[in-house]
Amino acid sequence: MRLVALIAFFSVSTEGLTALTNPEQEGEALFSLKVYPTLSSKCFSCHGKDPKKIKGQLNLTSREDMLKGGESETASLTPKKPLLSPLYLASTRDHEPDWSSMPPKDNDRLNSNQIREIKRWIELGAPWPNQQRRAMYTAKERAKVSTSEGILIETSGGLSEEWTYRRYNPEDLWAFLPLKKTAVPPGSLNPIDAFIARTLKETKFKPAPQANFRTLIKRAYYNLTGLPPTPYQIYQFRLAWDKNPSNAWNKLIDELLASPHYGERWGQHWLDIARYADTGGYSNDYERSNAWRYRDYVIRSFNNDKPYNKFVVEQIAGDEIWYSQQPDQRNPELLIASSFLRMGPWDPAMVKAPQARQIYLDDIVNAVGQTFLSTSMRCFKCHDHKFDPLPTRDYYRMYAVFAGTQLAERPVPFLESENLSGLEQGRNNTQKMLSHAKNKHNALYKKQESAAREWFTQEGRDYLDENSRRKLPDKEKPPRHVGLSPEEQGRMKVRKQDEWIWNRRMERYKPMAQGVYNGPDPKTLNARAMRMPKSPGNQPPPQSHILMGGALNAPGDKVSPGVLSALKLPVTTEGDDPYKITNALHGRRLTLAKWITNSRNTITARSIVNRVWQHHFGKPLARNPNNFGSKGGKPTHPELLDWLAADFMANGWKFKRLHRIIMTSETYRQSGTHPAIKKLRNIDPDNNLIAYREPRRLTAEELRDSLLKTTGELNPMIGGLPVSPEINMEVALQPRMIQFSLAPAYQPSRSPQERNRRTIYAYRTRGQPDPFLELFNQPNPNNSCEQRDSAAVTPQALTLLNSQMMTDRSIALALRVEKEFDTLHLQVKRAVQLAFGRVPSKPEWERLKQYVSRMHDYHLTHQAKPIHYPKSIVRSLIEELTGQPFEYEEILPVFDNYVPDTRSADVTAETRSLADLCLLLFNSNEFIYVY
Amino acid sequence: MSTSIRIPICSRREHLFGLGSSLGALAMTDLLAKEAASPLAPKKPMHNPRAKAVIMLFMEGGPSQVDTFDPKPNLNERHKTESSRSAGLATGFRFYVGSPFKSRKVGQSGLDMSDQWIHLPEVADELCNYRGCQAESLNHPEALFHMNTGSRLGADPALGSWVNYGLGSVNQNLPGYVVMSELALPQGGSRNWSNGFLPAHFQGTRLRPEGSPILDLHPPGNKTRKHQRQALDELTFLNQEHAKKHPAHSELSARMENYELAYRMQSEVPGVMDLKDEPQAIRDAYGMGEKHTEKFGRQCLMARRLVEKGVRFVQIFSGGWDSHDYLERGHSSRIRSVDKPMTALIKDLKERGMLDDTLVIWTGEFGRTPDNNRRGGVYSLGRGHNIDAMTMLLAGGGVKKGAIVGATDDIGATATESIHPIRDLHVTILHLLGLDDNKLTYFHGGRYKQLSQFGGKVISELIA
Repeated sequence: MRLVALIAFFSVSTEGLTALTNPEQEGEALFSLKVYPTLSSKCFSCHGKDPKKIKGQLNLTSREDMLKGGESETASLTPKKPLLSPLYLASTRDHEPDWSSMPPKDNDRLNSNQIREIKRWIELGAPWPNQQRRAMYTAKERAKVSTSEGILIETSGGLSEEWTYRRYNPEDLWAFLPLKKTAVPPGSLNPIDAFIARTLKETKFKPAPQANFRTLIKRAYYNLTGLPPTPYQIYQFRLAWDKNPSNAWNKLIDELLASPHYGERWGQHWLDIARYADTGGYSNDYERSNAWRYRDYVIRSFNNDKPYNKFVVEQIAGDEIWYSQQPDQRNPELLIASSFLRMGPWDPAMVKAPQARQIYLDDIVNAVGQTFLSTSMRCFKCHDHKFDPLPTRDYYRMYAVFAGTQLAERPVPFLESENLSGLEQGRNNTQKMLSHAKNKHNALYKKQESAAREWFTQEGRDYLDENSRRKLPDKEKPPRHVGLSPEEQGRMKVRKQDEWIWNRRMERYKPMAQGVYNGPDPKTLNARAMRMPKSPGNQPPPQSHILMGGALNAPGDKVSPGVLSALKLPVTTEGDDPYKITNALHGRRLTLAKWITNSRNTITARSIVNRVWQHHFGKPLARNPNNFGSKGGKPTHPELLDWLAADFMANGWKFKRLHRIIMTSETYRQSGTHPAIKKLRNIDPDNNLIAYREPRRLTAEELRDSLLKTTGELNPMIGGLPVSPEINMEVALQPRMIQFSLAPAYQPSRSPQERNRRTIYAYRTRGQPDPFLELFNQPNPNNSCEQRDSAAVTPQALTLLNSQMMTDRSIALALRVEKEFDTLHLQVKRAVQLAFGRVPSKPEWERLKQYVSRMHDYHLTHQAKPIHYPKSIVRSLIEELTGQPFEYEEILPVFDNYVPDTRSADVTAETRSLADLCLLLFNSNEFIYVY
Repeated sequence: MSTSIRIPICSRREHLFGLGSSLGALAMTDLLAKEAASPLAPKKPMHNPRAKAVIMLFMEGGPSQVDTFDPKPNLNERHKTESSRSAGLATGFRFYVGSPFKSRKVGQSGLDMSDQWIHLPEVADELCNYRGCQAESLNHPEALFHMNTGSRLGADPALGSWVNYGLGSVNQNLPGYVVMSELALPQGGSRNWSNGFLPAHFQGTRLRPEGSPILDLHPPGNKTRKHQRQALDELTFLNQEHAKKHPAHSELSARMENYELAYRMQSEVPGVMDLKDEPQAIRDAYGMGEKHTEKFGRQCLMARRLVEKGVRFVQIFSGGWDSHDYLERGHSSRIRSVDKPMTALIKDLKERGMLDDTLVIWTGEFGRTPDNNRRGGVYSLGRGHNIDAMTMLLAGGGVKKGAIVGATDDIGATATESIHPIRDLHVTILHLLGLDDNKLTYFHGGRYKQLSQFGGKVISELIA
């Protein structure tokens, strides 16, 4: 079944079916190659395949039956007369109600080619060659690699011959074909400009002019660090720019690439794809207490300009490399890197262990495919891929690669490069919560047990504690929850759950990592504590199979671990199949990772340079960074993409070099306006030509970070334990159901210094997104995010105007400018300068001053009320044990000696009026868009 | 072919109608409402609809079929005897649990209801009890996601989002999909009413039961409405100055208009939520003012008002049905909290002539087992999760009246007649609304996606 030679260089065959001169042959060939397969896949299942389940008494599996017709008693077929043939009429879906559309489901509709083929076949007299002759026509056709129908692609083989031998439009396969070597077009210093200019030239439009220095510095700062430049940085850049723009620009890029904030910004892009969160999601939403170490690993990797190929291998197989190292030479960071394999949402609660494993494996196969190979693997889990040369066999080969991959929190010593500040304090705070839960739990337990003791005494039996009496018959022990009221029963459950939660959090302060190891499937799985067995052994995992229809209980062909065969990149020269990977327990993932990062892998480098491009320009060259298949958007500049990918690999897979090439291009420095913008938009509404710069709204993280930077509140510390910024207090204290009961309330970090860190360090709970960040499109970490949304919706306006967070920032900025300048005149100027990176125009300046004065009068008569933080809250919950509401007290010790931000009530009317202005600046379009 | 799977760059109008997680376009003026470009503009159904709106009463936790509407005398006979069923993950000794409640026939049609339902028999002849649905996930959040979004993953668009995507909103001043819950969100949280891959306008809007109905709806206490007006005027000035420098940037004006909408919403939303203009008799009928029914009653009355104003899909989550132990107390109290309000809702809808084209659904995410495992080492009288059988009520909107559709076996363990997966229920709901699941598709991630994932069947037995 394996095909031999293939796609390399082929000439398009002119020998299509229609070229057959003899109408009989044409009809037979058409039937054998096209019509019969269509009938077989679309019609037979209801019309003949199973004689017991024939619909409408219509059998379509032979010419005779077709001529006989079904319950309508009309022949389905009138040879040579398609318009009198219901078979054809029903398939067009245009002849209701005379002939109901077939197949009935709209999604199963025949495509226009299939309909045309049926029509033509009927016109040709509807010949029906026997199976032998059909096979002859088929064999003849399959001997041709390329025909007008497309090309054949050799793969490990589909579930059906039709699939294996189907043909593809080579244009759809761009990502599976080798990089095209294209010479850089002449005429430009920067290769990017050369490629962009060549396409643009065909349209007679000129590129937009270069942006001014002020736009450029803001663009570069946000792009590389996610933060705005300070007025002083802008001033210095201007001095340098006036001397020599090109030197100034290059120097700026170098400085920003060297800034540790670079890793935070670009690490965030990676975490979007990897689905970073600090909890595991689903019902328990258990904390993944050491996930932060992976977050910092990613940031470090970008800051150290780690070659991408190394970055990939470490994340897929870091633990395997670590395992193969000499015990005294092992690099613990490799174990942290493999936390990538733990980033998806997963919890085995209430799922049988084999299914929980399958859910994990499906998730990780898809994650690896989307992240590194821009391939949505889910599309060929249940059947061969509908559009791409990806057989389900290859899905299960990749699945088998991970068959021995097990999850565990592993001991990993802290690294020198890790920020461990706040560890002690965090541990103490958590210990406080844990002790509280334990004490409450113990008190209730004691109450229960004293009642139990009484019961035993009355019954004249010896007391046994709860665990020891568990197995006794009911008559020999007190009732469950003896001595506890329904309310107390509910509270007991809450406290018990709290104990688990805080016990888990204690692990945050231990030298551990969310890791993986190779070994046998554990008998039981519980996300509360995933631990590695002492000796996992070396036994290879059991034989893997294709799971037919994705079902565990429907194993099909056996499969070995392997890679995607359509890429034509072997992993081995040994054995019968070059795409198979070792069957041993160890090394499966490492081989896969090396295959992914092989310089002849046609997708990997394209995938990453496409993502880098995307984050410089707002749009990727190939529009679906997670899906390079035929249904993803094709690259707008395929040659440029290939050139960038080749150049990237040839120069050590280095990101910083790629950033420099892109940012020093004139294309990158284009202005957001174009002299012929209207005409240009008519012919190119999506700016596929990249003829001008498209503005973008700040992302959620950039917005929060910029506010803090502008007010001077930002603590620029890099890395470390997750922090808890203040979030909307209604949401923070709002009860949230998890598996057995309510989750503990959200408590912000104690001091502004701790809270006002960059957003990438904010604790991320899958079950409780920060409403501010969510509103500004921070993605749902349950899905890999290939591109952020930035839809402007009304609630954004409400939050930017009215939220406590925004009020706090506006007061902080007001206080800052008051501290720096004495007169309202200069304070207004400074506020505008800090927020916009420019001084106000005269009319702006005057008007804004007047506004502040008016607001001053207002605030003289409108005092603000202080805000109080609760030190504990009373929860009310309907207990599922009893159906009764019950209450319990939850402590919020962080508010015992909390340092709040400065609030309206703490400041004068002057400050409040100035803060009114600051709030407007933060709400303005100029603040929120980058050009 | 180059196909973009992303939402196209929004037109100015789309921004205006952007709802996000709030009432969004609430204050849309008539002028704008009439313009057709809005993704929320009303669309014609695909076929003659039987219902225009849906009110879904979601009993989170999974109500027990045998203790509500599907009595099993056989089960009562086996009370506390050993069960041979294997159920879900539970292992070890299992025993049958008879229903603590008596059942009786109610209404002309003789529907079965346990004696805990005191009010609901009054509307029995409007109800259709469906016993054939089977769920697929044993755990709460996955099962909730499944019932709400058609997928256990919790990342796909909710039923209510699909309905609004298909039909648009009649009232441009209100969101088309409103969700109410207790203060605590159901398991899985807002993913249960997320727009998934559909545009953000179709997201469910949660009206919070306490505090601000929509987060940050109102300015801090020291700022008056007049103060806010002045601020907005100043902001407009700043934005206009900015727009002069960026004439090519089309999103700027949309963002400016969002602020005006936000301003108007501040006065409109409280009006929608204010039930004071409802007559006392109506409020009493819904059980408002009574401790056990106050919250759910208020929400049911809100639901009627919202549907009256043209909202397509209203969902009310009511938790606490997960009776693993103490079934009698648990279910008795839960039934009590919803019985009076939902009875009033159906009566009220009928009296106003709204029931004919409003589909009311009462359901959980799955059913419960006829037996239990020993919990804490004792015979605990409760029930586990059951995906093979459940029970639901439907009323109005083109479904049969006073009917029982489907059946379960003699102990209520598994459905035996009219068996359908959740996706068929979804397809049926869409069908009643005039939408064809196979045609209601959205291109995303390389294929046309639909609510049922891969197609489903209309449960024709339910339809009158």
